[in-house]
Formats: sequence, structure tokens, C-alpha cells
Amino acid sequence: MIITGKNIHFSYPREPIFSGFDFSLKEGEKVVVKGESGSGKSTLFELILGFQIPDKGEVLYKNEPLKSTTLHNFRTQSAWLPQDLNFGDGTVQEVVQYPFRFKHSGNSMPKMEQIEQLFSDLGLTPETLQKTFSDLSTGQRQRVGLALCILLKKPVMLLDEPTSALDRASKEKAIKHLFSDSQRTILSTSHDPFWIDRCDRVIDLDNQI
Amino acid sequence: MDIIQLSWFQLAIGFIILLIPAAIFRWYKTGLNRQMMIATIRMTLQLLFVGYYLEYLFEYDNAWINTAWIMIMVIVADFATIDRSDLKAKWALILPIFFATFLGIILINLFFLEVVIQLPTFLEAQYAIPITGMVLGNCLRSNVIGINDFYYNLKNNKERYQFYLASGATRAEALYPFFQSALKKSANPTLAAMATIGLVSLPGMITGQILSGASPMTAIQYQIMIMLAIFSGTILSVFLAIKFCNRTVFFENDMLDHSIFKD
Repeated sequence: MIITGKNIHFSYPREPIFSGFDFSLKEGEKVVVKGESGSGKSTLFELILGFQIPDKGEVLYKNEPLKSTTLHNFRTQSAWLPQDLNFGDGTVQEVVQYPFRFKHSGNSMPKMEQIEQLFSDLGLTPETLQKTFSDLSTGQRQRVGLALCILLKKPVMLLDEPTSALDRASKEKAIKHLFSDSQRTILSTSHDPFWIDRCDRVIDLDNQI
Repeated sequence: MDIIQLSWFQLAIGFIILLIPAAIFRWYKTGLNRQMMIATIRMTLQLLFVGYYLEYLFEYDNAWINTAWIMIMVIVADFATIDRSDLKAKWALILPIFFATFLGIILINLFFLEVVIQLPTFLEAQYAIPITGMVLGNCLRSNVIGINDFYYNLKNNKERYQFYLASGATRAEALYPFFQSALKKSANPTLAAMATIGLVSLPGMITGQILSGASPMTAIQYQIMIMLAIFSGTILSVFLAIKFCNRTVFFENDMLDHSIFKD
């Protein structure tokens, strides 16, 4: 197992989310999490990334509990696509290149041609790179975020509605990029049958015990 | 050329001029007259207190007493910074902002007083106290802008910060863009003041020095020096304040402690 959650209890003030939730992901698995709004889909990602700490229970990465000492190491292996992204007032090119400047992340800077090709696959023109990120539409922002996750080439990806802003042709290309590495583990949320059908397994949060 | 000494009676006459704003406020029913009275009384009493205190301070002129007074000024500025910001008065913020401001002020003072002006007496009150006051007043304003911008920007753009962390950034790397924005915002007012000084505004320091008999060029030289001190002092104190606060307001998992926010 690459990621395991054991007996996870978590609640927001006056809003219980998980009580004794277990899950596990095998290396290379592509899994989609389903559930009503408020069922804890985004919270599950935040618990795995250590942005939230379970009230009880633990999350393990390669059988090691994720604690403050091991968290950074796990995060160098992960990429996360949240639903709502705002990278501020820099150009899209600056936004896309910034995470590749992190010194201890292992991220290696992609070539410009690679970025432009990926942009075109996701329905973004090369001129988008020179635009200010905050001027982009929500859909364009989501596509830039997805492009960034693909460029990061991480072994673990946590993607919130990755295909919601894409047309059919772009979805196929996105899936080709994301699924090309059979060792890559992807945990996602999605309402898109096109995406769900291509995943190996569904975790249904509405029926968790 | 010596300055004309003001008698208390002459100063009292000065207050008569307040009848003009008072009449305007009354005519427009602004309800500001009470506030104006309180502000005027506070301003007068505070300044009289400082006047008496400074007389003693100048008489003793001891580096330790001067440092203690600077420390008191920094403590007052520290609480005022928190009070004017939209953050809660928690020790996790009060202490780091105090140390950052104190360190910034001391460094700037040592450089300008001892290296540039080369005072014959270490931290001489006549120079150290007014210069500290001017730099500190500006540090306060910049700290409020910088600290507010940094933490509220981080709160409102949490996903951006978390995205960077999730991509392998260290906490400092993930906070870098937020630092950039806070520094820009807090530097802007001083940069704007530097760009228009002399053309639009004639600062209090020049006015005060010319009134007390200094030649205009000496007053200008001091003003240039004080602008350099203000600018570098504000940037240094904002930088240190955010750096120091960041050591106390984050949890081990790199998440910000949201109990620092007022709302």
C-alpha cells in the first residue's frame, strides 16, 4: 500500500466528517472518491496532505505515519489540484514555472516547448502564458492548475474535479498525460462519467461505516 | 538666529484658531466637535508630558536611560500596531513585533547616529530620541500595512499556499509570494513620500530645524538622512516582524493559526 488511512476520526466544529474511516491506495491505482457535498471529499485530501490533522487515527505513506518530520518528504512526492485556484497577479508563465524553483522539492524545470504543447493539449493557447493569471476565467485557471500538476510529474496526485473545465478532446489528452505513468497513484473527486469510467475503483464516502 | 520663545499665554492664543474647524463641524452637524476636543486635549497633555520628560532625559543624557526610553516607545508602538491591525492582541504577535521593531530601530540608530553623524556621546538624547520617534512612527504604519497584508492575503489565498506546500515547497518557499506582496504594500507609502518630498510637502523636521535656527541646507541634509533612516527602518522592521511572527503563528504541519484573526 502506498497510502493508508487507519481509523480516521475528524470533525469541524459541530460538523462530524469521519468517524473511524479506513482507506488504502495501492501504488499505481487510479481511484475516484464519490460523495454528497460535505461528505468530506476535499477534507480527505487535506488530511492526506497534512493540512488537517485527524482527531484520532493516522495517515501512512509507504507504511510510515505522516507527521511533521515526514510530511515535507511526502509533499515532495505529491501534487494537488484544488477546485478553486488563485495564483495572484503574476503572468501564467511565472505561475507555471514558480514551483520548479523550490530547492528541495525535486521538481525539474520543464522546457518551454513542453509547456506550450501541454497547454495546447488542454485547450489553452500559447499566448495564455503571457496573460496575467488573475485575468483568466475560472475554467482557464483550472486548466493551468491541471497543466502544472501534469508538469510536476509526481508519483502521487490528488485531483479535485480534474476534468470539469475540459472538453472531450482535452479530457482524452489530459487522461493520457496523467495515466501514462502506470506507477503513479491518483486519488480524485469527480462527477464526470468519462473520468470515473477510466479509474480503477470508487470510494463512496456516503456509505462509509 | 535664536528661536523666539513662546510664552504659555501665546500658546493659549494658538488654540483660538480651533474655532474655525469647530464652526464648520457645527454648521454641517458632523458631531466631530467632541472628538476634536478630546483629541486636542490628549495631544496637548501627551506632548507636555513628553516635553517635561525630555527635559530630564536631555539633562541626564545617559545611554542606558535613553535605551530604556526607546524601549518604552517601541512597546507603545508595538501595542498600537496590533491595535490598528485586524489581528488579535496575542503574545504570539506582540512579542515578535516588539523584538523586530526594537532590533530594527537599534540597528538604524547605531548606523546613523554612530557611523554617519558620529555623535561624541553614545546614543546622545538630543539626536537619538527625535530620530527614533520619526523612524518609529513610520515603522508603526508600515508594520500595520505589511502584517495585515501578509496574514490576510495568506488567509484569503490559502489554496495557493497549500498548492506550493503540496508541490514540495518548504514553508519559506510557499510564503515567498505573500512576503513579496506585503513588502511592496508597506514600502509604497514611504516611496511615494520620497518621490514628492520638497515639491509637495515640507516635512516637520525641516520646519522644526529651520525654526530653531539651523541653516536650510543643514536642515535638508538631516532630512535626507532621516528619509533614508525611515525607509530602511520600515522595510527592516516589516521584514523582521513577519519573519519573527512566522515562528510563532504556524502549527507544525505548516498551517496558519487562524485564532490570530479578529473576525
